[in-house]
Amino acid sequence: MVIRVKNLVKRYGNLVALDHLSLDVKEGEIFGLLGPNGSGKTTAINCILSLLKFDKGDIEVFNKPMTPESYDTKRDIGIVMQNVAVYKELTVYENIDYFCGLYVPDKVKRKQLVDEAIQFVGLEDYVKFQPKKLSGGLLRRLNIACGIAHKPKLIILDEPTVAVDPQSRNKILEGILELNRQGATIVYTSHYMEEVEQICSRILIIDKGKAIASGTKEELKNMITIGEKITLQTYGLTPEQISAAGNLPNVLSAEYNGSNLVIKSTKGKNNLESVLDFAKQEGIQFGTIYSELPTLNDVFLEITGKELRD
Amino acid sequence: MQVFKLCLKIIKDNIPTLMIYVVVFLGVSILATSSMSNESKEMASFTPTKTDIAFISDETGPLVDGLKEELSKVANFVEIERDTEALQDALYFRRVTYALYIPNGFTERFMGGEDVKIQKTTIPESYSSAYVDISVEKYFDLARLYLTNVENIAEEELVSKVLKDLSVTTNVELYDTRANKADTSYANFYFNYLSYSMLGVLVMGMSALMVVFSDKDIKRRNACSPISTSRINMQFILANLTFAMVTWFIMVGFCIMFNFKNSLTPATLYFVLNSFIFMICGTSLSYLIGTAVTNQEALSAVCNVVTLGPSFISGVFVPQELISQSVLRIASFTPSYWYVKANNEIAGLTSFGFEQLESVFSSILIQLGFAVAMFAVALVVAKRKRYA
Ligand SMILES: Nc1ncnc2c1ncn2[C@@H]1O[C@H](COP(=O)(O)OP(=O)(O)O)[C@@H](O)[C@H]1O
Ligand SMILES: [Mg+2]
Repeated sequence: MVIRVKNLVKRYGNLVALDHLSLDVKEGEIFGLLGPNGSGKTTAINCILSLLKFDKGDIEVFNKPMTPESYDTKRDIGIVMQNVAVYKELTVYENIDYFCGLYVPDKVKRKQLVDEAIQFVGLEDYVKFQPKKLSGGLLRRLNIACGIAHKPKLIILDEPTVAVDPQSRNKILEGILELNRQGATIVYTSHYMEEVEQICSRILIIDKGKAIASGTKEELKNMITIGEKITLQTYGLTPEQISAAGNLPNVLSAEYNGSNLVIKSTKGKNNLESVLDFAKQEGIQFGTIYSELPTLNDVFLEITGKELRD
Repeated sequence: MQVFKLCLKIIKDNIPTLMIYVVVFLGVSILATSSMSNESKEMASFTPTKTDIAFISDETGPLVDGLKEELSKVANFVEIERDTEALQDALYFRRVTYALYIPNGFTERFMGGEDVKIQKTTIPESYSSAYVDISVEKYFDLARLYLTNVENIAEEELVSKVLKDLSVTTNVELYDTRANKADTSYANFYFNYLSYSMLGVLVMGMSALMVVFSDKDIKRRNACSPISTSRINMQFILANLTFAMVTWFIMVGFCIMFNFKNSLTPATLYFVLNSFIFMICGTSLSYLIGTAVTNQEALSAVCNVVTLGPSFISGVFVPQELISQSVLRIASFTPSYWYVKANNEIAGLTSFGFEQLESVFSSILIQLGFAVAMFAVALVVAKRKRYA
């Protein structure tokens, strides 16, 4: 086990930021920590790294208890903080060299690692730039390069794509997959479910410091009753028609907002067919009709009763 | 040594700002030198001048003539009419500073062993009349000595013996204690003032570092690395110390360069030693401020208070003699006070045995004590703040 957290409790005064949080990260996986802003992701990461004192719980990294003095363990960890932590006095190259140098004293070896990292995040054209001259996306990429240049076995990235343009975001996500292919175990926190769904092999959803669900994205979606979401674009439905739609087989709910009828049903083979039959039978004219599988947002919504993205 | 190298780079980036301090400091000390060298020229040009006196005698003879001869070494004789009014006028208008009157029968009574005094009138508080007094007293004291010890001595013999003795004994040269040793007043001023400017530069350099390293995100990021906090701190301290030593070396080097002719003395050695210890003290202090004060605005305020305050009350800008005892007592809780005190003592020394230097050494030891104490406090504070 790369990381094992058991019953972690962290309080800020009266606020319980982490409430008996447990998690396991296995070697070679991309572990996603998904939760809305303020759910405790950063707090959890800071506790795992021994940057914060916590009230209760056990934390092991590489099967050893983690303490502020676990320098050998720290050597194998790469960290990309949520807040960009680079020196504005140093250039892009010097920054990466500085942070890499904290792990790799050997100059020759380090030069090669730094060059690789620059190439990896695509900052070749900016090596002599000072951080203040970089755009938000490039700055994030520099932050990542500083965290991963020493080729650690475990890489922790805390919301590395916040306030990043789509191009940089895709580059970052691809990069993370590449690092994982090269053998690194990844812990990735985000409040963007699409990202987590896109790259993570296992996901833990947290809310208000509590773990609410974990598993692969398929497992998570199987946990909830909704299996399919069918949207019908149409106008002028009567209340009777809406309630009739809600009584179709497998259907859990039918909601109408004046232009779209959203029917949520459990998993089943013929859900779309029965909705189409219903429309024909009732003589409902519709523009488009489409079926979606549930997202992690639906998972979050069903468990917590609120949207993930707010 | 990543942190160490980074610190030096940050300081290098800040050299232009730091140079302002150094340049202003050197400017002020050069101005001070030129005014001081004028002062010492005046001092060297002082020569005693003969004073004008009125010598009035009702009788003549070897004893009186001998006195007149002796007095001619320290005085010019001015002819004054023998009446009281003319004498008063002469004294009042400073034509003479001293009037001496020998009445009839003086010699006879003196030779007879009587305790007779010559009569004199002087203007008050005159240095030159004191010289005359001394000469007169010496002459008669010596004469009385021969009179009582040599039986039946003749007046002529007595006078010749007295004059001969006086020509030897009065030939005492007045050594100017300063004439024999190098002028330390410039070095004294320079090194005292150094306590302000060096502290200023040290504290400024340190603040530049603190601005970077007290950043919370940077601190956390560094704490994730396999370099221990104490090693990071050590590199940080080492960088501070390197910077302090270079600053010290440059500033002291300038002093010796400007004042080279007066620098080849033991006093210079002790000035340099004292300033070195003070530099350690300053490094310790700036490290303490840097660890204790993390708020940026508070930091610059604290820096000003810490550099200017002690300098004012410890006698850097105003001599310690002019500062009231109670203020000095407060000042003695700052290293600056002991540094300045040691400098002043060194400047006043003419010989450099252990006895003379004892007080200087104890001032230096007290400064070292301050350095150690402040450093220890800084370490405690740093440790406490680790989990900030
Ligand atoms: N230093 C702190 N002092 C007090 N409360 C804090 C502190 N840091 C975080 N919190 C609170 O703890 C909760 C979790 O914060 P955080 O771990 O940053 O969430 P996330 O990273 O998931 O957005 C939030 O409610 C936040 O306001
Ligand atoms: Mg966060």
